[in-house]
Amino acid sequence: MNIWPFVIKKLIGAIPLLLGVTLLAFLLMVYFGPDLTYELLGKNPSQQDIDNIRTILGYDQPFIWRYLNYLRELLTFDFGMSMMKDQPVIDMLTQAIPVSLLLMLPGFILGNVLAIILALKATQYRGLWPDKTIMTFAVIGMSVSFLVVIIAFQIIFSSSYGLDWFPVRGWNLTSQEGHFSLWQYLYHVSVPTLATLFVSLGYNTRFYRAVLVEEMNKDYITTARASGHSTTRITYQFMLKNAMIPIITRVMFSIPLIIISGSLLIESYFGIPGVGQITYDAIIAGDQAVLKAVIGLTSVLFVLVLLIAEIIYRVFDPRIDSRQAA
Amino acid sequence: MTQPLYITGIAQSPQSPSSRAWYRFKTDRWGMIGLFVVSIYFVLTLGVWFGLWGTNWSQTSHAFHQPASVTHWFGTNAIGQDIANRGIYATKVAFEVGLLVAICATLLGTLTGSLAGFKHNTWIDSVILWVMGVLDSIPFYLFVAAIAYAMSEWIFAMHLAMILVFWTETARIVRAEVMRLKHMEFVESAQALGQRQALILFKHIIPNTNHLLIIQATITFVAAIKTEVILSFLGLGVKEGISWGLMIAESTNDIQAGYFNNFLVASGLLFILVIAFNFFADALQDALDPKLQH
Repeated sequence: MNIWPFVIKKLIGAIPLLLGVTLLAFLLMVYFGPDLTYELLGKNPSQQDIDNIRTILGYDQPFIWRYLNYLRELLTFDFGMSMMKDQPVIDMLTQAIPVSLLLMLPGFILGNVLAIILALKATQYRGLWPDKTIMTFAVIGMSVSFLVVIIAFQIIFSSSYGLDWFPVRGWNLTSQEGHFSLWQYLYHVSVPTLATLFVSLGYNTRFYRAVLVEEMNKDYITTARASGHSTTRITYQFMLKNAMIPIITRVMFSIPLIIISGSLLIESYFGIPGVGQITYDAIIAGDQAVLKAVIGLTSVLFVLVLLIAEIIYRVFDPRIDSRQAA
Repeated sequence: MTQPLYITGIAQSPQSPSSRAWYRFKTDRWGMIGLFVVSIYFVLTLGVWFGLWGTNWSQTSHAFHQPASVTHWFGTNAIGQDIANRGIYATKVAFEVGLLVAICATLLGTLTGSLAGFKHNTWIDSVILWVMGVLDSIPFYLFVAAIAYAMSEWIFAMHLAMILVFWTETARIVRAEVMRLKHMEFVESAQALGQRQALILFKHIIPNTNHLLIIQATITFVAAIKTEVILSFLGLGVKEGISWGLMIAESTNDIQAGYFNNFLVASGLLFILVIAFNFFADALQDALDPKLQH
């Protein structure tokens, strides 16, 4: 099967979406955003100074040029200097992205793997007490606010009112000799991971259970049962395999959030210098250069992931045509 | 006694779809408990609206960090404000946010979704799908932050941001349902009779999506209340009055000093409302699901 016409069609189809997300980010962050002229000026500016700054910020240029300029910034990753820190935005991001990745990955992987296992158990014992217990805990998990979980876990694990096992704030992966230390990593990543896990497990389990239950009601499962295959074989080899598409979709759509936005709440609360922390600081301080970079990049990445997901489905499951995948 | 037969439980299920749904809903124990708890919160909210209680939430006193007592049910905070009063007043704020966002997002989602489904395969559908795709691609908290940033001082920036994000899910569900309904016989006969398109859409098609709208509205309500807490905590949310998020934000200082009342009351009230609403929404979904009826 020739995949290229499909890929090209999809690439062209993604252009309006890419233009849309960048336009929206541009409108919110740059065009309708606060006027920055006076934040960059000293005291008692002359009209000449004001005009100079407005030229540097591009306020004297027409709308379309400023939008194209933003697109150029996104394509070249050149977002200029942060307004609050004396550092190029892209340097801040390249330092922060690995931190967010290391911070979020364990919780993300465990959250999905455990949820699939729980969902399989719930599906297997559908309507019986294991199912009901798992689903009740899922609803409880869904009902606790992420914020409350973070604060409560910090009290329980990191404060002197609780176990006091882990640090309250900070992020330091090197041992005293200056090498990367797994022990240090676990020391800092455990409580954020537990918090992420606690919150995501409920949502994920419910989602995966719905997927698996729908799969279980299909005819091929009945056929497999009638042919005398063992339950284990039906569950793991047939059902799970066929339920992979919605599972992969969910996992893939979480990727942009993990790479770029990290977690605003976790990082700002635990003082971890990832993208979430940078974004939080930028929101509080009104650092437009950082915000437009983070929002633009995450949205573009999201559209690209959407695109890649559709192409992957097409490669692995030729039955899916573009109409179904949309 | 002229009790309807279905209340006695011996007759077959009643005829109108809504009473049939209610009949099914009543058999769900957790759903009924959820409804009961939500009703209590609603009465609390009404009381605050009519000025019956929760009126002294901002009044400071010299009694700092008091433990729970008869005068202060849950003690006082760092500047001597009564935590119980603040929690009750914040219930009203949470309900206002939830209701406003749920109603606006559902209305917007219904109008755009049904229009897109009704005009499927035309430019109207494409434009609406494009707008939804764009909105869905921008990460939620960043989008809210961007709107709050663009409209810095406006008190409804948070509400607007949530409405703009939450309507797309409703719209997608309504669009799919309208595309299905459009080809059903009752719509085709209305078309054959030459009725106006707007009339067909509003009189015949949209009323048939009611059950989905109710479910979506409850889901949006819960999401809005939970989001408000996080946004207020981040300083992007409620700007006037007090909310659970603001209470949790101010409690982070109390916690370091060993005072947990503020945190426990705000997060406890939030948790009980959200879990009750989740149980209620689940039961409602089961009761209204047309696939389970007959």
